[in-house]
Amino acid sequence: METILAQILTGLSIASILLLVALGLAIIYGTTGVINLAHGEFVMIGAYTAWALQTYVGVGLIESLVVIFFTVALFGWIIEKTVIRHLYRRPLDTILATWGIGVMAQQAIRLAVGGELRYVQMPSAMSSSVSILGIEISAFRLFILALSAVIFGFTWYLMYRTSIGMKLRAISQDREIASCFGIQSKRIYGLTFAYGAGLAGLAGALVSPLKSVSPEMGTTYVVDAFMVVVLGGVESLIGTVASSVILGELTGFLAFYSNDTLAKVLVFLAIVVLIRFRPQGLFAAKVRS
Amino acid sequence: MSKRTALQIATYGIVCLAILLVPSFMDDAFILNKYARYLVLGILAMALSLSWGYAGILNLGQAASFGLGSYCMAMALKLRTVPVHTGKSGLPDFMVWNNVETLPWFWEPFYSLTFAIFAGVAVPVAFAMLLGSFIFRGRVTGVYVAIITLAALVVVNLLIIDQQRYSGGFNGITDLAQLELFGLTFDAYSSSSYYLIAISLTVSLFFALAVTKSKAGLILQAIRDHEERVRYFGYDVARFKTFAFAVSAGIAGFAGMLYTIVMEFASPTFLDVPLSLSVVIWCAVGGRQSLLGAALGAIIVTGMQGALSESEIFLESWTLIMGFAFVMIVLFLPKGLAGAVESLVDRILPKDRTAPGKSKAAADQCGAKNSAGGP
Repeated sequence: METILAQILTGLSIASILLLVALGLAIIYGTTGVINLAHGEFVMIGAYTAWALQTYVGVGLIESLVVIFFTVALFGWIIEKTVIRHLYRRPLDTILATWGIGVMAQQAIRLAVGGELRYVQMPSAMSSSVSILGIEISAFRLFILALSAVIFGFTWYLMYRTSIGMKLRAISQDREIASCFGIQSKRIYGLTFAYGAGLAGLAGALVSPLKSVSPEMGTTYVVDAFMVVVLGGVESLIGTVASSVILGELTGFLAFYSNDTLAKVLVFLAIVVLIRFRPQGLFAAKVRS
Repeated sequence: MSKRTALQIATYGIVCLAILLVPSFMDDAFILNKYARYLVLGILAMALSLSWGYAGILNLGQAASFGLGSYCMAMALKLRTVPVHTGKSGLPDFMVWNNVETLPWFWEPFYSLTFAIFAGVAVPVAFAMLLGSFIFRGRVTGVYVAIITLAALVVVNLLIIDQQRYSGGFNGITDLAQLELFGLTFDAYSSSSYYLIAISLTVSLFFALAVTKSKAGLILQAIRDHEERVRYFGYDVARFKTFAFAVSAGIAGFAGMLYTIVMEFASPTFLDVPLSLSVVIWCAVGGRQSLLGAALGAIIVTGMQGALSESEIFLESWTLIMGFAFVMIVLFLPKGLAGAVESLVDRILPKDRTAPGKSKAAADQCGAKNSAGGP
């Protein structure tokens, strides 16, 4: 019983990080149709910003989260304004361009601060572990879980209860008609990209104390996050949460009970079959096309 | 034959001839080997251009075919190594290290070189036909094709790394014999291998060109430009797409076999994600809608990569430069360098209307032909 509960908690912890990465990706893809392969690099830049703030300024991780969010958001906004903006009519080319940006970002970091692994210290108040129902779990992991729930709640509020969210949803349904109603789609696209990038940056900052920080760290996250988006279906925030939890728990359990590689192969095969039969994802709302 | 086609064939011929003449000016075995490697990657990029540029299938898993071909050749050459490198009764060394007692059944046929060469093309083709009909029968298009092919590549790659007992795992298959064919020995560091590869490039270029000029090739271009319309005309779109996907995989597998010969080993990095995405880059830089452009794109980019990473100043920054150049080309030259050259030719040679054009004209033509017969 206790091992199962511990497994569930580990799975949730994986899921909460997946959710933070995938949420930004899902919003960007759902709104603009851009497949953002540079998303993993946003995660990486978030982690490096956390490291730089801690090493050179001496600010703790929790205090610097807001700064990290806005730094990476600015980076995402600049990329949208300089590159992505030109590619909305060629969705396949966004894969290529964002991949090129990702390569550049990795190499730029490698040139600027070196390719060796970096470590970020866990906030001292959270380095202990907490006991829940007899299960020991690190306080920091609980904090990530809580924070991602808060961020999800905020995103939901932003999307469904504010005028900017309404505009965003209008654009994702039909950009031209939305423009006819006076919605400035260019501005919204820029903001969407910035917000998605900011979320990825937060995810990067939050995982930085758990794993080592390296220029290549983003690559694994972007693939997993893509699987979350594909599984959950775009334009469905609840779907993103549900598929994060499913994939998080699945990864946790499979890695525990069987061969890691084989588990991955199975997950990928499942994704291939899923796309073939339900390209709109498991949780997509029914929309008339 | 239109003026344009004649010009195209002439250009292809001149480039191939130039490639074939290189060893007469150069007899440094090391440099020839390096050039041969670039040429093989050129064939690989050309194969992608056939499916991406001509049929609109962005295959991010192109390296899977390449790797499968490479492993087929490596298995045959491994079984031909002198017994020093092998275990009892010719068992490959890595199997001995992994406590494999007997040669697994799927290694047996590779004692025959003819079978290996056949398999190097047939295995990727069979894989592509299975995957292709699975994808295209379900009318999966665009971005989802890219994601599925990428996922399929990851699966093949993980399986090969995981089955270390039979595939050599991370190390791949090393210590290979040299290929002997028709009484010739192909040493990787000799002009014979270079000629083998240059001739292969020529043959596969003209083969692919013939495919694009055939009726099927025209229909493929029409599918690329407007899939629904072609389907309404009654063509079996899925079959044509699977055909393009399989031909491209076959050529990639062929290139994989050649790569094993010049590299003298096969490794899981021949079918990893970075290589597969690099192929897409080469294709985009050279021009996805031009077979020769894609091949030259690969040769130029890998050549520059080789040259830049050897010099002190660029050792660190060439990736940055490449990434930047790539983004610029995607933004401003969506048809790559070949597209730029083509628009130059357009200015000199006014378009003749009778020729089957390369772009939208193909879709319209197929349409005109069919609607004439229809009600």
